[in-house]
Amino acid sequence: MISKQLAIGVLNEALLTGGDYAEIYLEENESSIISLENGTVDRVGSSLTYGAGIRILKGTESVYGYTSDLTKKSLMELANKLSSRFEGERVITVKEIENQKVKVINKIKNHLDEVKPEEKIKYLKECYQITKEVSPKIVRIIDNFINNKKKIEIFNAEGEVGKHYKNSEERGRLTMIAMASTEENGIESYFTGPGKYAGWDYFTSVLDYKEEAKKVGEKAVMMLTAKECPSGRFPVVIGNGWGGVIFHEACGHSLEATSTAKGLSVFSHSIGEQIASPIVSAFDDGTIKNEWGSNNIDSEGHVTMNNQLIKDGICVGFLVDKANGRKLNMEANGCSRRESYRYAPTSRMSNTYIAKGKDKPEDIIKDTKLGIYVVNFGGGSVEPSTGEFNFSASEAYIIRDGKICEPVKGCTLIGSGKEVLMNIDRVGNDLDLGQGMCESLSGLVPVNVGQPTIRIKEITVGGRGGKLE
Amino acid sequence: MNFAKFFALAKEKGIEQSQIKLSKSSSLTIKLFHHEIDSYKVANSQSLIACGLYKGKLGFGVSQKIDSSSFSFLVDQIILTASYSEKPCEIGLFPGSPKYKKRNVYNKELSLIPVEKKIALVKELENAIYAADSRITDADDVTYVEGEGYSEFYNSFGLKLKQKDNNFVIFAGAIAKDKGETKTFYDVFIDNDLSKFNVDKFAKSIVSRAVSKFGGAPCASNKYPTVLDKAVVSPLIGYYLSSTIADNVQRHSSVLEGKLNQKVASSKLTIEEKPLAKNLFYSFFDDEGVATQNHFIIKNGVLKTYLYNRETAAKDGVESTGNGAWGSGKFGTTFSNIFVKGGRASFDELISPIKEGVYITEIAGLGTGMNANSGNFSCQAEGYMIRDGKIAEPLNLITISGNLFKMFKDLKGFSNRTEIDDSAVSVGDAYIKSLSIGGK
Repeated sequence: MISKQLAIGVLNEALLTGGDYAEIYLEENESSIISLENGTVDRVGSSLTYGAGIRILKGTESVYGYTSDLTKKSLMELANKLSSRFEGERVITVKEIENQKVKVINKIKNHLDEVKPEEKIKYLKECYQITKEVSPKIVRIIDNFINNKKKIEIFNAEGEVGKHYKNSEERGRLTMIAMASTEENGIESYFTGPGKYAGWDYFTSVLDYKEEAKKVGEKAVMMLTAKECPSGRFPVVIGNGWGGVIFHEACGHSLEATSTAKGLSVFSHSIGEQIASPIVSAFDDGTIKNEWGSNNIDSEGHVTMNNQLIKDGICVGFLVDKANGRKLNMEANGCSRRESYRYAPTSRMSNTYIAKGKDKPEDIIKDTKLGIYVVNFGGGSVEPSTGEFNFSASEAYIIRDGKICEPVKGCTLIGSGKEVLMNIDRVGNDLDLGQGMCESLSGLVPVNVGQPTIRIKEITVGGRGGKLE
Repeated sequence: MNFAKFFALAKEKGIEQSQIKLSKSSSLTIKLFHHEIDSYKVANSQSLIACGLYKGKLGFGVSQKIDSSSFSFLVDQIILTASYSEKPCEIGLFPGSPKYKKRNVYNKELSLIPVEKKIALVKELENAIYAADSRITDADDVTYVEGEGYSEFYNSFGLKLKQKDNNFVIFAGAIAKDKGETKTFYDVFIDNDLSKFNVDKFAKSIVSRAVSKFGGAPCASNKYPTVLDKAVVSPLIGYYLSSTIADNVQRHSSVLEGKLNQKVASSKLTIEEKPLAKNLFYSFFDDEGVATQNHFIIKNGVLKTYLYNRETAAKDGVESTGNGAWGSGKFGTTFSNIFVKGGRASFDELISPIKEGVYITEIAGLGTGMNANSGNFSCQAEGYMIRDGKIAEPLNLITISGNLFKMFKDLKGFSNRTEIDDSAVSVGDAYIKSLSIGGK
């Protein structure tokens, strides 16, 4: 997007006042959305995100700036403005830039931006028909297909020879919302949103989109007559896949160097200590081929890695980006991410999951006398300083005498990360991943959460349904 | 930019009507941590958003890349997206309102204050947070953000509109530790006149809120008379208003469908949208070029209007309420500058009749804990017990659950503590007859 010569000029301008690392991140991201409302094309949209971010590090201090004007004048001005925040003499002069080879781990057939809109519309209409046929109680169906192709280039330097990386990311996501309504039960809705770092063949041939379309309708109708969830403290079994949002919120964010480097996370000084039940091991793996949170390189140019965070309940690692790594005296481990050039990169999760255990999921249910079975969550959030989290179930059932009974709605789980991780007393053998978007300091990034079926022996459940009986 | 070239190119390619908006923004962010500048960020960005009527259908294009190829990219996108639309657009684009109430809300003094003074201000704030209580271990996220926005709107009928605004936001948190407990509180201040910011008052307020949480525990699960802090009511008002958006009503996904001019809430609830109020959120035209107007949405509990853009207004045979907003590939509907009428009681007077109740000061997880269609919600909360009309012991790790629409029917009143917040809502603390609290 810019020449090497200009990159050298901008990096040197950035390093004018003694910075020891400078970086230019360039992005061109074309995204498109096709949205059907009750089977009719409601909108076809496209947009182009385009710009550059410049970052300078001097020891543990950093400055960042961005612009959507990639002319020489604009980039040099920005670099100058940023370097003027430091006082000092130049210590690095960049003389040349070397191209870096980026190994492509996410290979794609049938690029999504090459698929004609009419083909995507036909696909979405098929989804709509399947959902509609579930029940006349379904009053509104929204089917979206979103895809984007992000081309990025990174120029960075911490010595005379700078580095140049080129990478391309491509993701697609099918999202479906069904709303069901009756006079006596009001309105309920259900959402599903499978996504992949993959091409059109995945969405048409691998993903069981027909089953997803049917499920979204069935669940919306089911929630109409679901009872209000009881409240109190009791055992909760959490289903596999998207259920892993519990680990993402309760623990993952608190293991990001963004929180741990400042000493503000509940897990700041936990490496080598037991932070979870001994049956829990967990990973953040940005290298899983074609997964939603995967990438070839991170936003700083590091190769993505499979990082173990917890081994048999012991904390064994953090997610570390370059700037926070300097504060922690740790090496960056390929997890530095950002939504776009508008954000400085920082440590973020990619595909984060609790590793599979030994129990059969049906045995975990069978061994639970009275509790809640949460199959799906809407999402949640955490305060890393206190570790307190919340998440809301979008599909949950009562477990009575080892059997899954009636569905309940309005179910919220709250607790603290430390407490809940220690309270996991069963881990199933059915590991799966679920797709979501995670919002944090460096914006909104695609992440997979994941886990097998697990049981928490006791956790606070909020709802309007009185006592659990 | 010479926008005449865009209109000429659009016309040449068969786009009958078109409009284009150029937005430019710049910002400065200074964030401290442990007395050092932890993050210093400067930003400039621009974007073009265009829309056109092509063969009777609307098409859209957005680009942040602004160079000699931008106009032809946008025209191509309009044609492409219109070609796949299945919705004929009978109303076309909007030529312009007869009158616009333009006011100047830009404060040029703000940008003239040197950066060093702004850094000194946040450093002073950080010091004041540490000094306010010995249990403060960290002043967290002490941040100054200054932003400027500028937009130009043009259409093929010759309409030209321009708007410029600026503001600053100061954000800070206090982390307090005592006897193994960690407590935090964060707050935000927004304005465009820096002299209105009182460092000591802001720091003391954050710190006193953080340390007052020590010893917090869940209360017994029950239904309690509940007072919601204004900071908690504000997002709930946002969800409530999403059900007044005509698009949701017309698509049968609002419980307020068919309730126009009916009593939908307690008579204590009056909500007015005032886009023309001279403040940070002032806006005199919407994204379709329609002049905005101040109007009641709920008056004494009666639903007075739905919120319309031009398309949804045409469906109901009414005029747009000036709430049109750019969406991705269509015009959506939005609202801003919301004023909820406050009550007469001070906060102390509001809670004084409550023998045993709960005062909720913070909630978390509303984004996923709220079913915006049904209004059912359940989320994490913290606050204090109210005993004999006074604030008593702190509560944490509790849940609050209810139904938004029932809750505003059960509203007993608002306090007079109203001020506009950073999400453009002005509302007081709300006293609700009863809400479910989940604890131990």
